[in-house]
Amino acid sequence: MQRETIQIKKLVSDLQDFYLLSLQGLVGLVRRPLYSKDIIEQMDYAGAGSFFIILLISLFIGMALSLQLSAELSSMGFKMYIGKIVGVSIVREIGPVMTALVFAGRVGSGMASELGSMILGHQVDTLRVFGVDPIRKLVTPRIIGSLVMLPALTIIGDTVSILGGYYIAVFVSHQSAAVYWSSIQGVLNFENVLSGFIKPFIFGYLTACISCYMGLSTRGGAIGLRRATTRAVVASFVMIIVADFILTRGLFYILGFSL
Amino acid sequence: MIVFDRVSFSYGIQHVLRDVSFSIPFNQRVAILGGSGDGKTTLLKLILGLLRPDSGRIIIGGENITDKKEDELRKIRTMFSIVFQEGALFDSLNVKENVAFGLREYTKMTEVEIDRKVRELLGKVGLEHAMELMPEELSGGMHRRVAIMRSLAAFDPRMFLYDEATTGLDPVNADIICGLILDLAKGEKGFIIVTHKVFDALRLAKRFMFLKNGLIMLDGNKEQLMQSSLPEIHVFLTELNPPLPASS
Repeated sequence: MQRETIQIKKLVSDLQDFYLLSLQGLVGLVRRPLYSKDIIEQMDYAGAGSFFIILLISLFIGMALSLQLSAELSSMGFKMYIGKIVGVSIVREIGPVMTALVFAGRVGSGMASELGSMILGHQVDTLRVFGVDPIRKLVTPRIIGSLVMLPALTIIGDTVSILGGYYIAVFVSHQSAAVYWSSIQGVLNFENVLSGFIKPFIFGYLTACISCYMGLSTRGGAIGLRRATTRAVVASFVMIIVADFILTRGLFYILGFSL
Repeated sequence: MIVFDRVSFSYGIQHVLRDVSFSIPFNQRVAILGGSGDGKTTLLKLILGLLRPDSGRIIIGGENITDKKEDELRKIRTMFSIVFQEGALFDSLNVKENVAFGLREYTKMTEVEIDRKVRELLGKVGLEHAMELMPEELSGGMHRRVAIMRSLAAFDPRMFLYDEATTGLDPVNADIICGLILDLAKGEKGFIIVTHKVFDALRLAKRFMFLKNGLIMLDGNKEQLMQSSLPEIHVFLTELNPPLPASS
Protein backbone atom coordinates (compact mmCIF):
# COMPACT_ATOMS: atom_id res chain seq x y z
CA MET A 1 0.00 0.00 0.00
CA GLN A 2 2.85 2.35 0.89
CA ARG A 3 4.50 1.65 -2.46
CA GLU A 4 1.27 2.52 -4.36
CA THR A 5 0.86 5.74 -2.37
CA ILE A 6 4.42 6.76 -3.20
CA GLN A 7 3.87 5.96 -6.88
CA ILE A 8 0.71 8.06 -7.01
CA LYS A 9 2.51 10.91 -5.24
CA LYS A 10 5.36 10.60 -7.74
CA LEU A 11 2.96 10.70 -10.70
CA VAL A 12 1.28 13.85 -9.37
CA SER A 13 4.65 15.42 -8.62
CA ASP A 14 5.93 14.50 -12.14
CA LEU A 15 2.90 16.11 -13.75
CA GLN A 16 3.38 19.20 -11.63
CA ASP A 17 7.08 19.35 -12.57
CA PHE A 18 6.25 18.96 -16.27
CA TYR A 19 3.67 21.73 -16.06
CA LEU A 20 6.16 24.02 -14.28
CA LEU A 21 8.95 23.28 -16.76
CA SER A 22 6.64 23.99 -19.73
CA LEU A 23 5.48 27.24 -18.16
CA GLN A 24 8.93 28.43 -17.06
CA GLY A 25 10.35 27.53 -20.46
CA LEU A 26 7.70 29.70 -22.08
CA VAL A 27 8.22 32.56 -19.62
CA GLY A 28 11.93 32.38 -20.51
CA LEU A 29 11.02 33.56 -24.03
CA VAL A 30 10.27 37.05 -22.76
CA ARG A 31 12.73 37.32 -19.86
CA ARG A 32 16.44 37.95 -19.68
CA PRO A 33 18.94 36.42 -19.93
CA LEU A 34 18.31 35.01 -23.42
CA TYR A 35 21.16 32.72 -24.37
CA SER A 36 21.40 33.71 -28.03
CA LYS A 37 24.33 31.42 -28.83
CA ASP A 38 22.42 28.42 -27.48
CA ILE A 39 19.29 29.47 -29.38
CA ILE A 40 21.17 29.64 -32.69
CA GLU A 41 22.83 26.30 -31.96
CA GLN A 42 19.44 24.69 -31.28
CA MET A 43 17.89 26.21 -34.40
CA ASP A 44 20.74 24.85 -36.46
CA TYR A 45 20.43 21.40 -34.89
CA ALA A 46 16.64 21.26 -35.17
CA GLY A 47 16.25 22.97 -38.54
CA ALA A 48 19.31 22.51 -40.72
CA GLY A 49 19.94 19.07 -39.25
CA SER A 50 16.42 17.85 -40.08
CA PHE A 51 16.17 19.50 -43.50
CA PHE A 52 17.13 16.60 -45.76
CA ILE A 53 15.24 13.90 -43.89
CA ILE A 54 12.06 16.03 -44.01
CA LEU A 55 12.66 16.69 -47.71
CA LEU A 56 13.03 13.01 -48.47
CA ILE A 57 10.08 11.79 -46.42
CA SER A 58 7.77 14.56 -47.66
CA LEU A 59 8.62 13.84 -51.27
CA PHE A 60 7.78 10.16 -50.97
CA ILE A 61 4.62 10.78 -48.94
CA GLY A 62 3.37 13.20 -51.60
CA MET A 63 4.15 10.71 -54.35
CA ALA A 64 2.59 7.75 -52.52
CA LEU A 65 -0.57 9.73 -51.74
CA SER A 66 -0.90 10.88 -55.33
CA LEU A 67 -0.34 7.34 -56.58
CA GLN A 68 -3.03 5.91 -54.31
CA LEU A 69 -5.50 8.60 -55.32
CA SER A 70 -4.71 8.14 -59.00
CA ALA A 71 -5.48 4.45 -58.79
CA GLU A 72 -8.79 4.99 -57.02
CA LEU A 73 -10.03 8.14 -58.74
CA SER A 74 -9.06 7.12 -62.32
CA SER A 75 -11.46 4.20 -62.26
CA MET A 76 -14.28 6.51 -61.20
CA GLY A 77 -13.37 9.26 -63.65
CA PHE A 78 -12.48 11.78 -60.92
CA LYS A 79 -8.80 12.16 -61.77
CA MET A 80 -9.16 15.94 -61.83
CA TYR A 81 -9.60 15.87 -58.03
CA ILE A 82 -6.14 14.43 -57.31
CA GLY A 83 -4.58 17.87 -56.82
CA LYS A 84 -7.38 19.05 -54.56
CA ILE A 85 -7.27 16.01 -52.29
CA VAL A 86 -3.46 15.95 -52.19
CA GLY A 87 -3.45 19.68 -51.37
CA VAL A 88 -6.04 19.52 -48.59
CA SER A 89 -4.66 16.40 -46.94
CA ILE A 90 -1.04 17.53 -47.10
CA VAL A 91 -1.57 21.12 -45.98
CA ARG A 92 -4.16 20.49 -43.28
CA GLU A 93 -3.19 17.11 -41.90
CA ILE A 94 -0.45 14.87 -43.25
CA GLY A 95 2.20 17.56 -43.66
CA PRO A 96 2.11 19.01 -40.13
CA VAL A 97 1.68 15.62 -38.44
CA MET A 98 4.33 13.73 -40.42
CA THR A 99 6.85 16.55 -40.10
CA ALA A 100 6.19 16.74 -36.36
CA LEU A 101 6.60 12.97 -35.94
CA VAL A 102 9.90 12.96 -37.82
CA PHE A 103 10.98 16.02 -35.83
CA ALA A 104 10.10 14.31 -32.53
CA GLY A 105 11.94 11.15 -33.58
CA ARG A 106 15.09 12.97 -34.58
CA VAL A 107 15.24 16.20 -32.58
CA GLY A 108 13.19 15.18 -29.54
CA SER A 109 15.25 12.06 -28.93
CA GLY A 110 18.43 14.12 -29.33
CA MET A 111 17.22 16.68 -26.79
CA ALA A 112 16.30 14.00 -24.24
CA SER A 113 19.55 12.09 -24.59
CA GLU A 114 21.70 15.24 -24.50
CA LEU A 115 20.02 16.63 -21.38
CA GLY A 116 19.96 13.16 -19.82
CA SER A 117 23.69 12.76 -20.23
CA MET A 118 24.18 16.26 -18.81
CA ILE A 119 22.18 15.19 -15.74
CA LEU A 120 24.16 11.98 -15.31
CA GLY A 121 27.45 13.84 -15.78
CA HIS A 122 26.45 16.44 -13.14
CA GLN A 123 26.67 19.22 -15.74
CA VAL A 124 23.19 20.49 -14.82
CA ASP A 125 24.19 20.58 -11.15
CA THR A 126 27.29 22.53 -12.16
CA LEU A 127 25.10 25.07 -13.96
CA ARG A 128 23.05 25.51 -10.80
CA VAL A 129 26.19 25.91 -8.69
CA PHE A 130 27.22 28.71 -11.04
CA GLY A 131 23.81 30.33 -10.46
CA VAL A 132 22.54 29.56 -13.96
CA ASP A 133 18.90 28.53 -14.27
CA PRO A 134 18.91 25.26 -16.27
CA ILE A 135 15.43 26.03 -17.63
CA ARG A 136 16.58 29.34 -19.14
CA LYS A 137 19.87 27.94 -20.38
CA LEU A 138 18.74 24.54 -21.62
CA VAL A 139 14.97 24.43 -22.07
CA THR A 140 14.06 27.87 -23.44
CA PRO A 141 16.58 27.72 -26.34
CA ARG A 142 15.20 24.31 -27.30
CA ILE A 143 11.62 25.59 -27.19
CA ILE A 144 12.57 28.57 -29.37
CA GLY A 145 14.46 26.30 -31.77
CA SER A 146 11.40 24.07 -32.13
CA LEU A 147 8.89 26.94 -32.37
CA VAL A 148 10.83 28.51 -35.22
CA MET A 149 12.09 25.48 -37.10
CA LEU A 150 9.14 23.07 -37.03
CA PRO A 151 6.75 25.48 -38.83
CA ALA A 152 9.51 26.29 -41.33
CA LEU A 153 10.18 22.60 -41.94
CA THR A 154 6.44 21.97 -42.29
CA ILE A 155 6.11 24.62 -45.01
CA ILE A 156 9.08 23.13 -46.87
CA GLY A 157 7.72 19.60 -46.38
CA ASP A 158 4.25 20.57 -47.62
CA THR A 159 5.72 22.18 -50.73
CA VAL A 160 7.86 19.15 -51.53
CA SER A 161 4.92 16.77 -50.94
CA ILE A 162 2.75 18.75 -53.33
CA LEU A 163 5.56 18.67 -55.92
CA GLY A 164 5.87 14.90 -55.42
CA GLY A 165 2.13 14.58 -55.93
CA TYR A 166 2.43 16.70 -59.07
CA TYR A 167 5.12 14.41 -60.50
CA ILE A 168 2.93 11.31 -60.09
CA ALA A 169 -0.28 13.01 -61.22
CA VAL A 170 1.26 14.48 -64.38
CA PHE A 171 3.96 12.01 -65.43
CA VAL A 172 2.54 8.71 -64.19
CA SER A 173 -1.21 9.28 -64.14
CA HIS A 174 -1.04 11.56 -67.20
CA GLN A 175 -3.21 14.27 -65.80
CA SER A 176 -2.95 17.82 -67.12
CA ALA A 177 -0.48 19.95 -65.15
CA ALA A 178 -2.80 22.95 -65.41
CA VAL A 179 -5.68 21.01 -63.85
CA TYR A 180 -3.46 19.80 -61.00
CA TRP A 181 -2.21 23.29 -60.18
CA SER A 182 -5.57 24.97 -60.49
CA SER A 183 -7.15 22.44 -58.11
CA ILE A 184 -4.24 22.92 -55.69
CA GLN A 185 -4.64 26.71 -55.83
CA GLY A 186 -8.31 26.28 -55.07
CA VAL A 187 -7.60 24.64 -51.72
CA LEU A 188 -4.72 26.88 -50.65
CA ASN A 189 -7.12 29.39 -49.10
CA PHE A 190 -6.66 31.25 -45.82
CA GLU A 191 -8.55 28.73 -43.67
CA ASN A 192 -6.63 25.69 -44.91
CA VAL A 193 -3.23 27.36 -44.72
CA LEU A 194 -3.94 28.76 -41.25
CA SER A 195 -5.16 25.36 -40.09
CA GLY A 196 -1.93 23.74 -41.26
CA PHE A 197 0.27 26.53 -39.93
CA ILE A 198 -1.01 26.65 -36.34
CA LYS A 199 -0.38 22.96 -35.68
CA PRO A 200 3.43 22.95 -36.04
CA PHE A 201 3.77 25.61 -33.33
CA ILE A 202 1.81 23.50 -30.86
CA PHE A 203 3.58 20.29 -31.92
CA GLY A 204 6.98 21.96 -31.65
CA TYR A 205 6.24 23.31 -28.19
CA LEU A 206 4.95 19.92 -26.99
CA THR A 207 7.92 18.02 -28.42
CA ALA A 208 10.46 20.40 -26.88
CA CYS A 209 8.80 20.41 -23.45
CA ILE A 210 8.27 16.64 -23.30
CA SER A 211 11.79 15.87 -24.52
CA CYS A 212 13.44 18.36 -22.17
CA TYR A 213 11.39 17.12 -19.23
CA MET A 214 12.23 13.48 -19.94
CA GLY A 215 15.90 14.35 -20.38
CA LEU A 216 16.10 16.40 -17.20
CA SER A 217 14.38 13.69 -15.17
CA THR A 218 16.87 10.99 -16.22
CA ARG A 219 18.02 8.75 -13.39
CA GLY A 220 20.05 5.57 -13.28
CA GLY A 221 22.95 5.49 -15.72
CA ALA A 222 22.89 4.18 -19.28
CA ILE A 223 19.63 2.27 -18.79
CA GLY A 224 17.99 5.38 -17.37
CA LEU A 225 19.18 7.35 -20.36
CA ARG A 226 17.77 4.79 -22.78
CA ARG A 227 14.47 4.81 -20.89
CA ALA A 228 14.29 8.62 -20.89
CA THR A 229 14.99 8.84 -24.62
CA THR A 230 12.41 6.18 -25.47
CA ARG A 231 9.82 7.80 -23.24
CA ALA A 232 10.49 11.20 -24.79
CA VAL A 233 9.85 9.89 -28.31
CA VAL A 234 6.82 7.77 -27.39
CA ALA A 235 5.20 10.52 -25.30
CA SER A 236 5.86 13.10 -28.02
CA PHE A 237 4.30 10.84 -30.69
CA VAL A 238 1.21 10.19 -28.58
CA MET A 239 0.80 13.84 -27.65
CA ILE A 240 1.22 14.99 -31.26
CA ILE A 241 -1.51 12.61 -32.45
CA VAL A 242 -3.85 13.50 -29.58
CA ALA A 243 -3.19 17.24 -29.95
CA ASP A 244 -3.75 16.93 -33.70
CA PHE A 245 -7.24 15.59 -33.17
CA ILE A 246 -8.09 18.24 -30.57
CA LEU A 247 -6.68 21.03 -32.75
CA THR A 248 -8.46 19.74 -35.85
CA ARG A 249 -11.75 19.66 -33.99
CA GLY A 250 -11.15 23.12 -32.54
CA LEU A 251 -10.07 24.62 -35.84
CA PHE A 252 -13.07 23.10 -37.63
CA TYR A 253 -15.24 24.92 -35.14
CA ILE A 254 -13.33 28.22 -35.22
CA LEU A 255 -12.79 28.36 -38.99
CA GLY A 256 -16.29 27.18 -39.75
CA PHE A 257 -15.51 24.01 -41.71
CA SER A 258 -18.74 22.12 -42.28
CA LEU A 259 -18.86 18.39 -41.58
CA MET B 1 30.29 26.05 9.75
CA ILE B 2 28.15 23.38 8.09
CA VAL B 3 25.49 21.93 10.39
CA PHE B 4 23.26 18.96 9.61
CA ASP B 5 20.50 18.60 12.18
CA ARG B 6 18.64 15.27 11.97
CA VAL B 7 18.62 15.32 8.17
CA SER B 8 16.83 12.57 6.27
CA PHE B 9 16.69 12.18 2.53
CA SER B 10 15.26 9.57 0.18
CA TYR B 11 14.88 8.96 -3.53
CA GLY B 12 11.32 7.65 -3.70
CA ILE B 13 11.21 4.59 -1.46
CA GLN B 14 15.00 4.33 -1.19
CA HIS B 15 16.21 5.95 2.03
CA VAL B 16 19.64 7.48 1.51
CA LEU B 17 20.19 9.44 4.75
CA ARG B 18 18.42 8.78 8.05
CA ASP B 19 18.44 11.40 10.80
CA VAL B 20 22.02 12.39 10.10
CA SER B 21 23.54 15.05 12.38
CA PHE B 22 27.03 16.55 12.34
CA SER B 23 28.83 19.86 12.11
CA ILE B 24 31.93 20.73 10.07
CA PRO B 25 33.85 24.01 10.42
CA PHE B 26 34.77 25.62 7.08
CA ASN B 27 38.50 25.18 7.74
CA GLN B 28 38.40 21.47 8.50
CA ARG B 29 39.74 18.71 6.24
CA VAL B 30 37.14 15.98 6.12
CA ALA B 31 36.89 12.73 4.21
CA ILE B 32 33.53 11.07 3.89
CA LEU B 33 33.96 7.40 3.17
CA GLY B 34 31.41 4.87 2.08
CA GLY B 35 30.40 2.51 -0.68
CA SER B 36 28.54 3.32 -3.88
CA GLY B 37 24.97 4.38 -3.23
CA ASP B 38 25.57 5.12 0.45
CA GLY B 39 24.69 8.79 0.07
CA LYS B 40 28.10 10.46 -0.16
CA THR B 41 27.34 12.56 -3.26
CA THR B 42 23.82 13.24 -1.95
CA LEU B 43 25.38 14.74 1.15
CA LEU B 44 27.44 17.20 -0.92
CA LYS B 45 24.38 18.13 -2.97
CA LEU B 46 22.43 18.79 0.23
CA ILE B 47 25.20 21.12 1.45
CA LEU B 48 24.86 23.15 -1.76
CA GLY B 49 21.06 23.13 -1.71
CA LEU B 50 20.95 21.17 -4.96
CA LEU B 51 18.68 18.72 -3.14
CA ARG B 52 16.17 19.39 -0.38
CA PRO B 53 16.03 17.13 2.67
CA ASP B 54 12.82 15.26 3.48
CA SER B 55 13.21 16.36 7.09
CA GLY B 56 15.71 18.07 9.37
CA ARG B 57 17.67 21.32 8.98
CA ILE B 58 20.81 22.25 7.11
CA ILE B 59 22.59 25.36 8.35
CA ILE B 60 25.43 26.90 6.35
CA GLY B 61 27.38 29.80 7.81
CA GLY B 62 24.59 30.41 10.32
CA GLU B 63 21.82 30.47 7.67
CA ASN B 64 19.17 27.79 7.51
CA ILE B 65 19.12 26.83 3.83
CA THR B 66 16.54 24.06 4.11
CA ASP B 67 13.67 26.02 2.58
CA LYS B 68 15.57 28.66 0.66
CA LYS B 69 14.61 29.36 -2.94
CA GLU B 70 17.03 28.84 -5.85
CA ASP B 71 17.83 32.58 -6.10
CA GLU B 72 18.55 32.80 -2.37
CA LEU B 73 20.91 29.82 -2.53
CA ARG B 74 23.16 31.59 -5.04
CA LYS B 75 25.04 33.43 -2.29
CA ILE B 76 25.42 30.27 -0.19
CA ARG B 77 26.86 28.36 -3.16
CA THR B 78 29.58 30.96 -3.70
CA MET B 79 31.04 29.91 -0.33
CA PHE B 80 31.99 26.59 -1.87
CA SER B 81 33.95 25.29 -4.76
CA ILE B 82 32.73 21.91 -5.92
CA VAL B 83 34.30 19.43 -8.27
CA PHE B 84 31.85 16.75 -9.26
CA GLN B 85 32.68 13.18 -10.13
CA GLU B 86 34.73 12.99 -13.34
CA GLY B 87 34.90 16.78 -13.49
CA ALA B 88 31.50 17.50 -15.08
CA LEU B 89 33.01 19.75 -17.72
CA PHE B 90 30.52 21.09 -20.26
CA ASP B 91 30.84 18.86 -23.35
CA SER B 92 30.00 21.60 -25.79
CA LEU B 93 32.65 24.04 -24.53
CA ASN B 94 36.41 23.84 -24.88
CA VAL B 95 38.75 24.03 -21.87
CA LYS B 96 39.07 27.82 -22.03
CA GLU B 97 35.30 28.34 -22.24
CA ASN B 98 34.73 25.88 -19.40
CA VAL B 99 37.08 27.76 -17.08
CA ALA B 100 35.71 31.11 -18.27
CA PHE B 101 32.10 30.02 -17.68
CA GLY B 102 31.83 31.31 -14.12
CA LEU B 103 33.71 34.49 -15.00
CA ARG B 104 31.20 35.31 -17.73
CA GLU B 105 28.23 34.56 -15.46
CA TYR B 106 29.49 36.25 -12.30
CA THR B 107 31.86 39.03 -13.29
CA LYS B 108 31.95 41.93 -15.72
CA MET B 109 35.47 41.18 -16.90
CA THR B 110 36.42 42.03 -20.47
CA GLU B 111 37.46 39.32 -22.91
CA VAL B 112 41.12 40.29 -22.47
CA GLU B 113 40.84 40.02 -18.67
CA ILE B 114 39.02 36.69 -18.95
CA ASP B 115 41.67 35.37 -21.29
CA ARG B 116 44.43 36.46 -18.90
CA LYS B 117 42.70 34.94 -15.87
CA VAL B 118 42.03 31.63 -17.64
CA ARG B 119 45.67 31.39 -18.76
CA GLU B 120 46.82 32.12 -15.22
CA LEU B 121 44.58 29.44 -13.71
CA LEU B 122 45.41 26.79 -16.29
CA GLY B 123 49.10 27.68 -15.98
CA LYS B 124 48.94 26.76 -12.29
CA VAL B 125 48.05 23.18 -13.19
CA GLY B 126 50.26 22.95 -16.26
CA LEU B 127 47.40 23.02 -18.76
CA GLU B 128 47.91 26.32 -20.52
CA HIS B 129 48.60 24.43 -23.74
CA ALA B 130 45.22 22.63 -23.53
CA MET B 131 43.05 25.76 -23.71
CA GLU B 132 41.54 24.98 -27.09
CA LEU B 133 40.98 21.26 -26.47
CA MET B 134 37.48 19.86 -26.03
CA PRO B 135 36.68 17.82 -22.87
CA GLU B 136 36.63 14.53 -24.79
CA GLU B 137 40.25 15.14 -25.81
CA LEU B 138 41.44 15.35 -22.18
CA SER B 139 42.71 12.54 -19.99
CA GLY B 140 41.01 11.80 -16.66
CA GLY B 141 43.63 13.72 -14.68
CA MET B 142 43.47 16.75 -17.00
CA HIS B 143 39.67 16.68 -16.69
CA ARG B 144 39.84 16.96 -12.90
CA ARG B 145 42.49 19.70 -12.98
CA VAL B 146 40.41 21.78 -15.41
CA ALA B 147 37.32 21.21 -13.26
CA ILE B 148 39.15 22.34 -10.11
CA MET B 149 40.37 25.51 -11.84
CA ARG B 150 36.91 26.19 -13.25
CA SER B 151 35.41 25.98 -9.79
CA LEU B 152 37.98 28.50 -8.55
CA ALA B 153 37.74 30.99 -11.40
CA ALA B 154 34.78 33.08 -10.35
CA PHE B 155 34.61 32.67 -6.57
CA ASP B 156 36.96 32.80 -3.65
CA PRO B 157 35.46 29.82 -1.82
CA ARG B 158 35.65 29.24 1.91
CA MET B 159 35.61 25.51 1.46
CA PHE B 160 36.23 22.97 -1.29
CA LEU B 161 33.95 20.03 -1.98
CA TYR B 162 35.34 17.11 -3.97
CA ASP B 163 33.19 14.28 -5.23
CA GLU B 164 35.37 11.22 -5.89
CA ALA B 165 38.20 13.48 -7.03
CA THR B 166 40.70 10.68 -7.57
CA THR B 167 38.40 7.84 -8.56
CA GLY B 168 39.29 6.26 -11.87
CA LEU B 169 42.71 7.90 -12.04
CA ASP B 170 46.03 6.12 -12.26
CA PRO B 171 48.32 6.52 -9.19
CA VAL B 172 50.40 9.27 -10.83
CA ASN B 173 47.39 11.40 -11.73
CA ALA B 174 45.73 10.66 -8.38
CA ASP B 175 48.92 11.91 -6.71
CA ILE B 176 48.85 15.13 -8.77
CA ILE B 177 45.20 15.76 -7.81
CA CYS B 178 45.90 15.04 -4.12
CA GLY B 179 48.80 17.51 -4.23
CA LEU B 180 46.56 20.11 -5.82
CA ILE B 181 43.87 19.56 -3.18
CA LEU B 182 46.42 20.05 -0.39
CA ASP B 183 47.87 23.15 -2.09
CA LEU B 184 44.46 24.77 -2.38
CA ALA B 185 43.67 24.00 1.25
CA LYS B 186 46.67 25.94 2.53
CA GLY B 187 45.72 28.68 4.94
CA GLU B 188 42.28 28.70 6.47
CA LYS B 189 40.46 26.80 3.75
CA GLY B 190 39.12 23.36 4.42
CA PHE B 191 37.60 20.70 2.23
CA ILE B 192 35.25 17.79 2.23
CA ILE B 193 36.23 14.94 -0.03
CA VAL B 194 33.85 12.07 -0.57
CA THR B 195 35.61 8.98 -1.73
CA HIS B 196 35.83 5.25 -1.42
CA LYS B 197 39.64 5.35 -1.80
CA VAL B 198 40.92 5.05 1.76
CA PHE B 199 44.52 5.61 0.77
CA ASP B 200 43.80 9.06 -0.67
CA ALA B 201 41.47 9.92 2.22
CA LEU B 202 44.20 9.15 4.78
CA ARG B 203 46.69 11.27 2.89
CA LEU B 204 44.37 14.27 2.65
CA ALA B 205 42.03 14.46 5.62
CA LYS B 206 42.20 14.84 9.37
CA ARG B 207 38.63 13.91 10.15
CA PHE B 208 36.86 10.85 8.79
CA MET B 209 33.18 10.05 8.52
CA PHE B 210 31.96 6.65 7.40
CA LEU B 211 28.52 6.38 5.82
CA LYS B 212 26.62 3.14 5.64
CA ASN B 213 22.88 2.50 5.11
CA GLY B 214 22.12 6.17 5.51
CA LEU B 215 23.81 6.46 8.88
CA ILE B 216 27.15 7.85 10.02
CA MET B 217 28.78 4.76 11.46
CA LEU B 218 32.01 6.54 12.45
CA ASP B 219 33.05 10.16 12.90
CA GLY B 220 36.60 10.58 14.16
CA ASN B 221 40.28 11.03 13.45
CA LYS B 222 42.75 8.74 11.72
CA GLU B 223 43.41 6.62 14.82
CA GLN B 224 39.73 6.09 15.47
CA LEU B 225 39.25 5.05 11.85
CA MET B 226 42.15 2.61 11.88
CA GLN B 227 41.11 1.08 15.21
CA SER B 228 37.43 0.82 14.41
CA SER B 229 35.92 -2.59 15.02
CA LEU B 230 33.20 -2.13 12.39
CA PRO B 231 33.45 -4.92 9.81
CA GLU B 232 32.40 -2.52 6.98
CA ILE B 233 35.36 -0.28 7.78
CA HIS B 234 37.67 -3.28 7.93
CA VAL B 235 36.64 -4.15 4.38
CA PHE B 236 37.57 -0.62 3.32
CA LEU B 237 40.88 -0.71 5.14
CA THR B 238 41.98 -3.85 3.30
CA GLU B 239 42.72 -1.45 0.42
CA LEU B 240 45.76 -0.37 2.44
CA ASN B 241 47.06 -3.91 2.98
CA PRO B 242 45.42 -6.10 0.36
CA PRO B 243 45.67 -9.85 1.11
CA LEU B 244 48.44 -11.56 -0.83
CA PRO B 245 47.31 -14.00 -3.50
CA ALA B 246 47.58 -17.60 -2.36
CA SER B 247 50.79 -19.26 -3.63
CA SER B 248 50.29 -22.27 -5.85
